[in-house]
Amino acid sequence: MNTMTLYVEKDSPVHHLDPLVKLLYVVAAIALTYILPEPLFIAGVLFVTLLLLLVGKVFRNSLPILTLSLFLIFSLVIVQGFFHPDNVTELFSLGPLVFYEEGLYVALILVLRVLVMIGSFSVLILTTSPDEMVERLIKKGMSPRIGHVILSVLQLIPQMRATTSKITDAQRSRGMETEGSMLTRIKAFFPLMGPVVLNSLNETKERSIALEMRGFGSSMKKTFLNEEKQYPYNKLLGGIIIAIVILGIVWRVMA
Amino acid sequence: MNTFELKDVAFSYSLDIQIFDGLDLTFDSRTTAIVGQNGAGKTTLVKLMKGLLKPSKGTLLIDGDSIDKQTAAQLSRRVGLVFQNPNDQIFKTNVLEEVMFGPLNIGMSRNEAEKAAREALRKVDLESKAEDNPYDLSLSERKLIALSSILAMDTEMIIFDEPTMGQDFAGKEKIKAIIEELHTEGKLVLCILHDMDFAAEVFERTVVMNQGEIILDGPTRDVFSKKEVLEKAYLEQPYVTQIAHALGYDESFIHESELINFLNKND
Amino acid sequence: MSIIEVEQLKYRYPDLTDLVLDDLSFSVEKGECLGIVGENTAGKSTLCYALAGLIPHFYKGAYGGKVTVNGLVVREHEIADIVENIGLVFENPFSQMTGAKKTVYEEVAFGLENLGLDRKEMHRRIEQYLKLLDVFAVKDKNPFDLSGGQMQRVAIASVLAMEPDVLILDEPTSQLDPQGSSEVFEVIEQLTEKGMTIILVEHKMEQIAQYADRVLLLHQGRQVALDTPEKIFSRVDLKDFGVTPPVVTNIAKALNVRYPDSELYPVTIEEFKRLEEAK
Repeated sequence: MNTMTLYVEKDSPVHHLDPLVKLLYVVAAIALTYILPEPLFIAGVLFVTLLLLLVGKVFRNSLPILTLSLFLIFSLVIVQGFFHPDNVTELFSLGPLVFYEEGLYVALILVLRVLVMIGSFSVLILTTSPDEMVERLIKKGMSPRIGHVILSVLQLIPQMRATTSKITDAQRSRGMETEGSMLTRIKAFFPLMGPVVLNSLNETKERSIALEMRGFGSSMKKTFLNEEKQYPYNKLLGGIIIAIVILGIVWRVMA
Repeated sequence: MNTFELKDVAFSYSLDIQIFDGLDLTFDSRTTAIVGQNGAGKTTLVKLMKGLLKPSKGTLLIDGDSIDKQTAAQLSRRVGLVFQNPNDQIFKTNVLEEVMFGPLNIGMSRNEAEKAAREALRKVDLESKAEDNPYDLSLSERKLIALSSILAMDTEMIIFDEPTMGQDFAGKEKIKAIIEELHTEGKLVLCILHDMDFAAEVFERTVVMNQGEIILDGPTRDVFSKKEVLEKAYLEQPYVTQIAHALGYDESFIHESELINFLNKND
Repeated sequence: MSIIEVEQLKYRYPDLTDLVLDDLSFSVEKGECLGIVGENTAGKSTLCYALAGLIPHFYKGAYGGKVTVNGLVVREHEIADIVENIGLVFENPFSQMTGAKKTVYEEVAFGLENLGLDRKEMHRRIEQYLKLLDVFAVKDKNPFDLSGGQMQRVAIASVLAMEPDVLILDEPTSQLDPQGSSEVFEVIEQLTEKGMTIILVEHKMEQIAQYADRVLLLHQGRQVALDTPEKIFSRVDLKDFGVTPPVVTNIAKALNVRYPDSELYPVTIEEFKRLEEAK
């Protein structure tokens, strides 16, 4: 059964952390890159983030995500390197292209910041099962309906793919061409999308009836089948993260 | 079309599960029902015949000529397939337009297509709904709209996938009449069914599939007399056959009237 | 008091002009299996929705009369309060899976979590009903990886685990293959033997004849008759309502095999055989 989650099931200290602590780490890591926008400092945060990926045994899994973002990173370097308004000091040139120190400095910070963002999100998403995450958030007061939507979307989108291929077959057997020129593909859009949308609406209606009959609208306090995981160092870790952020702010103000 | 032949056909979705391995099957002018559990390979068979899937080995032939090189769109002129769920195909907001979609795709002019569409709607008794929005109709009516959208393409062979599912008595009678009409027009009719009683009542020939293999194939009467083989495919005999059996008669009955006549004579 | 009481129930869907349920009054006794038959537009599913409280809470529209389940007036209570009294299983097993749970075991837990049951009670019920429906072996599988018959049995287990007093089955096998349907009917047989109150909508009259104690015949939203299967299926005007009797009853009619001193024909093969031999 394929679901849309990127979660990698492994046994590591990072996997056993409270999803909320990991969420806090994401927020703190990104905030720090703004509080102290020094390349060396951001590199330090990035180092910690990569370390977490390694400890979480998901470093390899994060590589495709990081590679994907390379394109974004590359364009950042070029744009900032060429066009930054503060560009004065010429660093080097490649033919007609001139790179300036100021632009590259800004680009470097941006690149590091993007890597921190993607890296810390990877820590969260690759080592946390969506169920655990949503359950934690519901216990912290998020609406169970929103939680349900998040979880069911992850499972139902792959199911929708199956429906789409059935619909494609149905229209092809009525002589519709689905391959070939751009025009053919555009022409095939409505005959395919119409039934896809209506089918999902229909199924959503049926599923909401089924959910109602399972007491989904109940005002009773919800309980949970899975026992709450114990997160022993929760307070300590959360405290350390917050302390570091505060230290960062103090440093910034003092300096 | 006189025959549709599958010769030594092999097919699999993934490397480890082979659906067909050297399947030989020929359809002719006899109306034919294919029965079997889900996963027996019925739908895969139909998709191969429509060119929606390509076999890894073997040939498909119409009247002795190979159709391996033809695309699904080209084959749609010759073989029509009525899908189980009408919601998988309906997308126009007008019944007539929906039924004309296929005919227009295979190159009929608007005039011809409209004529064919109206004729097809007449066959399913929904002429009066031609200007309605298909989504205002009931599910069983939409099934008939989907059916007529294939009838309108006037193909030489028509395949039905579970046409009786969700139909009440009146709906089943209508489908039975359409199948018989298509048969007298000289078209090849093939039908995937879960309803053994409908298979027994309507079709001349029945093919039983189980795990990608044909375990029974012959005149419907003979096929439904083989209780033990049917049970291997987890299928039951038609009710009439079961009743006759329970009364202690060994002859094979597949029509209500047969059994009644027989019992009347015996009295 | 009867477990279900329906008094002069009338209902019309929003934006439609015709009544879909038109003045229905009947009651169902505890432990009874009531079959509902009629053609596609008779209002069978709509009646099921009205019994389960989906009408008028989920589907709005014009509503008249009164439905009482286990002493609870359906109109005056939220669906969530009604689900522990009456459960509903319908045609499509796929859309009855929540989509948010990754195992069969957790799928059954969904409703119990909503009811706020404690963990021990949840485990007890999940195990009990997965075993009853014979799907305990697949408890760790993803619900979407099951066959149609298994998925439908998980749907039934999920509803039964909420321990309602009445179970409504609205064409529970019409989207299943023959094996899947016989799996589900085996379960229905077990439940009727256990004395569960069941309301069964079904196209195969042979199944109605076998399981139903009484049959409600609907036509265009109206209640034509409510009687034993023998009385309903022996009616000469049955075809006018789009219903054909079981094959065996048809044969009995043609051969005039009847219960002694009555106008009634047998509806099951066993009864037919008994009467035929007695003749």
